[in-house]
Amino acid sequence: MQASRARLFKEYKEVQREKTADPDIQLVCDDSNIFKWTALIKGPSETPFEGGVFQLAFAVPEQYPLQPPQVRFLTKIFHPNVHFKTGEICLDILKNAWSPAWTLQSVCRAIIALMAHPEPDSPLNCDSGNLLRSGDTRGYQSMARMYTRLAAMPKKG
Amino acid sequence: MVSDSITNAPIPSAPNSKDFSKKKRANRSAKLKQCKLDARREQWLSQVAVKSKGCKEEGNCAKKERDRSLENLRQRDEDNNDDGSIHHESDSESPSNSPANSLLGGGGGGSGGSDSGTNFIGSSSSRSSISGSSSGGCCSGSITEEEEEDGCLDDWEAVADALAADDDNNKPEPEPENSSSQSPSESQLSMHSDSTPELTNGFGLDSANSMTESARMVPRISGNNTQAWRPDDAYRPQSLPNLAKQRSFPATNRHFGHGGVPWSRNSVLGAPSSCPICYEDLDLTDSSFFPCLCGFRLCLFCHKRILEEDGRCPGCRKPYEHDQVESEASVQGGSFTVRLARSCSMIARS
Repeated sequence: MQASRARLFKEYKEVQREKTADPDIQLVCDDSNIFKWTALIKGPSETPFEGGVFQLAFAVPEQYPLQPPQVRFLTKIFHPNVHFKTGEICLDILKNAWSPAWTLQSVCRAIIALMAHPEPDSPLNCDSGNLLRSGDTRGYQSMARMYTRLAAMPKKG
Repeated sequence: MVSDSITNAPIPSAPNSKDFSKKKRANRSAKLKQCKLDARREQWLSQVAVKSKGCKEEGNCAKKERDRSLENLRQRDEDNNDDGSIHHESDSESPSNSPANSLLGGGGGGSGGSDSGTNFIGSSSSRSSISGSSSGGCCSGSITEEEEEDGCLDDWEAVADALAADDDNNKPEPEPENSSSQSPSESQLSMHSDSTPELTNGFGLDSANSMTESARMVPRISGNNTQAWRPDDAYRPQSLPNLAKQRSFPATNRHFGHGGVPWSRNSVLGAPSSCPICYEDLDLTDSSFFPCLCGFRLCLFCHKRILEEDGRCPGCRKPYEHDQVESEASVQGGSFTVRLARSCSMIARS
């Protein structure tokens, strides 16, 4: 069995064992492919994303954990570091700052941290980045909250 | 084998019989076989020069040796101060007579045998009953004793275990007998390492059974507790060496799943930490492998894979074999702190 599969299997068991350890993260593996994972993360409190549940898609490469997993948002999110159409995430630990010591669970935590602390200087969503860089925090928050309500919250009625 | 010849001998022995000479008469044929056994033993143990050959001429001696071995077992179980050197006293000329031995031999001389036997016999009535009743019964004791005479102190437990394992194959359901009743029972006699009177009764019952039932090939030293010692036994003498060697004995952990003693290989070893990269357990080499100054440890396999790729430590992201400190990463108290792009830092699970 290749190392990535073994490692993912161990991670899967770890996730099953510590299901209640982190209530903000639900990490589930695809039934047929252990290299495909889906995560549901809750938007951090005191951010425009509070109350929303965001879905992430993990595509784990064969070289994992030496290569980082590819993660993208399946849920629309208005965030400077997330591509609005594709859901691609600009996060250093998913690129050059990846360490094999990270796990899928810790990647989810990093993404939650990124949601709370956007990085407007390397934007994938220029509109969102420009709002923040121009100092329009209120505008950014209202936009982000609107999209959270539209896309990440259960529809009412 | 030896055990057969011993146990087939008809031996009139009651559990509480203390008359030694009467037994002697009744066990004549057994003694003859024991003489043969001794001769064979001498052949096997020819390398042991200091052994007392004088014992051979008298059938009693074999009996006594066996008694001694049984006594050894019992003493080890009950005597915490026993440092294990009691093994040597099966050899009367053995140079190492520990203080424990001399204490035990304080009441000696009652049975009038060779002086090597007087160390134990007669120190208490129950012991003399052991020595009498177990005259023909216990072969595994004699084997054990041979191991002791041979100096293979670390193997005798394994040999005893192997014999007990064979017994388990031959005999029906082992029935641990915790009561100290004197009546002979067909069930296997259990020797709990922590209960001395039960042990006494066990050997008495054993020989009684072998008297009534000559088809019984191998007497029972232990039914429930097939180990002479459990690995966590507090009474286990310190001088008994490595359990690891014993565990390498192939028969030791094969039959004891039902025996009530959880005898697993892993129970003794400390729980190893696992490699944070591949989550495999770190073996001995990996455990002593410190590739990076930051203290991040991983298995050699993953280390090699990382060196083939970017060659940076997963814990601190510094390149291996370089001491330069990057401002991007800092190690703080075991958990590594990774600076995200600008301001958000987070602590990763280590």
